[in-house]
Amino acid sequence: MSTSQESVLPAARLVDGVKTYGSGDAAVTALDNVSVDFQPARFTAIMGPSGSGKSTLMHCIAGLDSLTSGDAYIGETRLGDLKDRKLTELRRTEVGFIFQAFNLVPTLTAEENIVLPLMLGGRKGDREWIDNVIDTVGLRDRLTHRPSELSGGQQQRVAVARALASRPTIIFADEPTGNLDSNSGSEVLAFMRRAVDEFGQSIVMVTHDASAASNAHRVLFLNDGHIVHDMSDPTADRILDTMKSIGS
Amino acid sequence: MLRLALKGARANLGRLILTLLSVVLGVAFVSGSFVLADSLRSIFDQVSEDAFAGVDAQVRAVGNDLNSSNAEVPRFSDEYISSIADLPEAKYAEGGIFAFERAYTVDANGEVVRPTGPPVFTGSWSGPSPVSSFRIIDGEAPVGQQVAIDPIQAERGGFTVGEPVTVSLPSGELETYTLSGTIDFGEGGTGGAFFILFDLPTTQHVLELEGLVDSIVVAAADGVSPETLVAAIAPVLPDDLEAVTGAVVIGEQKEDFGTFINIFGNILLGFAIVVLFVSTFIINNTFATLVGQRTRQYGLMRSIGASGKQIMQMVFLEAGAVGFAASGIGLVGGFGVAAGLKKLFSTAGGEFPEGPLEIRLRTLIVVVVVGMGVSLASAVVPALRAARVAPLEAFRTGGQPVRPLKVRIAFGSAVLIPGIALLCWGMFGDPGGTSATLSAIGFGGALTFIGVSMLSAMFAGAVASVIGAPVARLRGVTGQIAQGNARRNPKRTSSTVTALMIGLALISGVAVLTRSILDSFDEFLSESISADLFVFESNQNLEFSGALVDKLQTLPEVDQVAGFSPLEVRVDGDQVRATGFDSVTGTSVVNMGITEGTAAIGTKGLAVLDTTATELGLNLGDTVTVEFEDGFTTDLTIQGIFDDRSVIDADWLFDRGLTREHRITDAITFAGITFTPGTDPAVARAAVERVTGSFPQLAVQDNTEFKQQAEDQIAQLQIVISGLLVLCLVVAFFGIVNTMVLSVLERTREIGLLRAVGMTRRQLQSSVRWEAAIISVFGALLGVVLGVILGWASVIAISDSFISKTGIPWGQLVTFVIVGGILGVVAAWFPARRAARLDVLEAISTD
Ligand SMILES: Nc1ncnc2c1ncn2[C@@H]1O[C@H](COP(=O)(O)OP(=O)(O)OP(=O)(O)O)[C@@H](O)[C@H]1O
Ligand SMILES: [Mg+2]
Repeated sequence: MSTSQESVLPAARLVDGVKTYGSGDAAVTALDNVSVDFQPARFTAIMGPSGSGKSTLMHCIAGLDSLTSGDAYIGETRLGDLKDRKLTELRRTEVGFIFQAFNLVPTLTAEENIVLPLMLGGRKGDREWIDNVIDTVGLRDRLTHRPSELSGGQQQRVAVARALASRPTIIFADEPTGNLDSNSGSEVLAFMRRAVDEFGQSIVMVTHDASAASNAHRVLFLNDGHIVHDMSDPTADRILDTMKSIGS
Repeated sequence: MLRLALKGARANLGRLILTLLSVVLGVAFVSGSFVLADSLRSIFDQVSEDAFAGVDAQVRAVGNDLNSSNAEVPRFSDEYISSIADLPEAKYAEGGIFAFERAYTVDANGEVVRPTGPPVFTGSWSGPSPVSSFRIIDGEAPVGQQVAIDPIQAERGGFTVGEPVTVSLPSGELETYTLSGTIDFGEGGTGGAFFILFDLPTTQHVLELEGLVDSIVVAAADGVSPETLVAAIAPVLPDDLEAVTGAVVIGEQKEDFGTFINIFGNILLGFAIVVLFVSTFIINNTFATLVGQRTRQYGLMRSIGASGKQIMQMVFLEAGAVGFAASGIGLVGGFGVAAGLKKLFSTAGGEFPEGPLEIRLRTLIVVVVVGMGVSLASAVVPALRAARVAPLEAFRTGGQPVRPLKVRIAFGSAVLIPGIALLCWGMFGDPGGTSATLSAIGFGGALTFIGVSMLSAMFAGAVASVIGAPVARLRGVTGQIAQGNARRNPKRTSSTVTALMIGLALISGVAVLTRSILDSFDEFLSESISADLFVFESNQNLEFSGALVDKLQTLPEVDQVAGFSPLEVRVDGDQVRATGFDSVTGTSVVNMGITEGTAAIGTKGLAVLDTTATELGLNLGDTVTVEFEDGFTTDLTIQGIFDDRSVIDADWLFDRGLTREHRITDAITFAGITFTPGTDPAVARAAVERVTGSFPQLAVQDNTEFKQQAEDQIAQLQIVISGLLVLCLVVAFFGIVNTMVLSVLERTREIGLLRAVGMTRRQLQSSVRWEAAIISVFGALLGVVLGVILGWASVIAISDSFISKTGIPWGQLVTFVIVGGILGVVAAWFPARRAARLDVLEAISTD
């Protein structure tokens, strides 16, 4: 599958990415020379033991953190060349984020939160598309509510909608279902998968949950800052087996 | 426990320093007030002692024991000088006579040489006797046609010793004297006043007070005690003169200055207390927020065995440390404040005598007590709250539950209602005595402000939404986020802006009062005065020669002239407030509101104020016995009854034709002029000014100028008062900085999120600043509204002839609100930058 799309420009890409925290004896290498491509319209899961560098990998590709060496690209844009303002603009337009918790601005309504990146850019966005997204995540009747009036699952759905609203090149989600019960978790995952299948959205998701990862087209396994396994069309069982072999 | 508390203090050093600053400001002001008053007291004590250094006894008119102005000093014959000097107990006796603003030196260009502010003092030279308080710096003592002046005046006028000096006399005539030397007063320094000294006979001539003295100072013969001297002098004196020892005079002088300095010091202290009061809100807010943020930490400590009392002690220790540090810094800062206040007042026209600043033990104690007290008192509620934190709180996740406003509303009302009652009692009721009234107003005001501050939390959110709406509309999502944050924590919003609210309430109150006085003055001018021009002494409204009226009357351009002369008379044996005026022309220049009879009372009649007449049961046509200054007694008939004393400032009116004969000097304080119909006002004015030209101290003004001058004076007063109140705004500024820092810190995670999803640094900064602006405008609006109410109430409370209507200075009030908003924006500068510089990843991952 990956061979057939070789000619297509990856949505995001890491080339020889190294990320070291601290220096000298205390230095921790969170990413050790990692290269990876994320293809458009694909749902990729990243798994690995705690401290293996999953979040670091995501942050570095998403422009939230800088690499110690190597290059990260969103589409054709090399992140290392960008100053804070351009980088911020890139995050606003080309990247979507879904965090584990505290995804929403408490003073804004659900709808305002959804269009926040667009509004920050002074854009109205594509209203039809946004309506479509809102309907897809099933939030039509919750639009005027503030985050404190929404359940955890609803909040995460708002976060998904926000990530989709600006039609970014790629969406990064760090344990988006980590704080949810299994029902709301699978709901959120289903929406993410639909976004990929129906809207052609690219999504990269970090997760500890094998069944969550089984929603993806592809699973990357990280250990000690290395990609140790790259699995296509995963199933929960295969994922669990691989995890065991890594030793987590 | 102490270590923990200090650790807590260290961890929050930044915001504690801001809190500290707000306390320091108040404490420094308190200490500055004391330092300044103490220093002034020392200086003036020294001045008093210098002035009477060699004086063993002083002879003066009975009742002349106050440092009164020349109009009221009962003078007496100089013939007693020689009879006292002849006593064997006396070594030396010398008469002295002094007056302010009567004579001036004139420079080569014909310009009068005078200081701005302090007076020009004309008097008799009493050196080189042992009783002299003057010192020769250069040259010699003045004798006969000679004059001695202070060196500053000599320099300003370009006068040199041995050369002639032109002196302008009270009559307006010019005379030439020779400068014999320059002189200095006491240990040096004249407090900015100018001195013109002659020998006694020449001074009497210059002041038109021939044969009279104010007092006689006496030095005792060797071996004679002051008491013996006084006893020996007494038999020589008539009943209305007395002799007292030098010590008594010095004591009286000190007391006299002391009273003034006390009033001055207390006014400053009043401002200091306001600033301190305002700063308690900042401290309270800081500790309340800190305690709130540390709830989990306290819960953890409780769960590992700390008692609630220990937690409370920790908060108090922290507050005590802040108070202690603030006291120390404030004490030192007090010197700066004292120096600054000296500057402020000297730019406002006054001039302070030179002298070192001094600090007394009392100041030290008060400052420490006040600094610590204020900090600890503000921490009481937060400390109690901290003590009540349950161990379980350690395990609560998520943010702080927002406590309902019920308690706050109950407390606020419980404070506000008695506050308003007390305030009203102080303003409209009669608590008895000035200090009781001021206490009632002070405490009532404080309670009212506390109450309003607490209750304002009720509508802080809603008002912030309204104020923020245009921001949200204009600034898009940045404004929307600012608006949302501004209304997020109404309690904090209301506490934060309390300092601003109080500061602006007082400043707007003063503004309303000022505008009301000016408007009333305006009304008074148009209703009570019909003169085209006024003539008066420009510095302190002192007297000038009544002969001017006659000279002006001869001008063809002038239709009517009336002079007004304050009188010392007794009516049926009682001292009364009386004015002599030219009754024939008087009503054409002023309107005293004759209700019965006529204003043209003539030399055999008088007019009386309606309320006085009622009080005494007098009617038109009744006769009263009047005794004048010179002892002349006559019966006069009531020819008129009037009801408006705003211009003439007297209950009794006499004809100047009569009173000028029986006044020691024919002097007036005010003349009104109307122009001959058909005359060009400019021409008429020029003619008047040609006549007044020889009276350098006189100002000639028309209605507009008169109004302008009054406006300038009142505006200056307003500037001084507001200048002092601006300190409240400085405290408020620190408070806003503090709150914004705390809020930004609290919202670190949210800020990280906003940055992650694409908010630029600039947008973030702008939203923090807008938030502060919205909060501040809320506080400013609240303050201005309160200020208008306070100002309006004050106008009603002091409603008098000089303040008869309420004026609202809209322009100023709008400016205050804008200034409040700008204050907020500037205060948010640092917190906003700080927010913008947060590392996105770190911010997102904080908890
Ligand atoms: N800011 C930092 N400073 C120092 N070391 C860090 C920092 N952030 C991460 N690390 C280290 O880098 C390594 C990778 O961390 P990372 O957060 O990427 O792990 P993770 O795979 O996301 O773990 P988890 O599943 O627990 O979230 C870890 O050893 C971690 O201790
Ligand atoms: Mg992680």
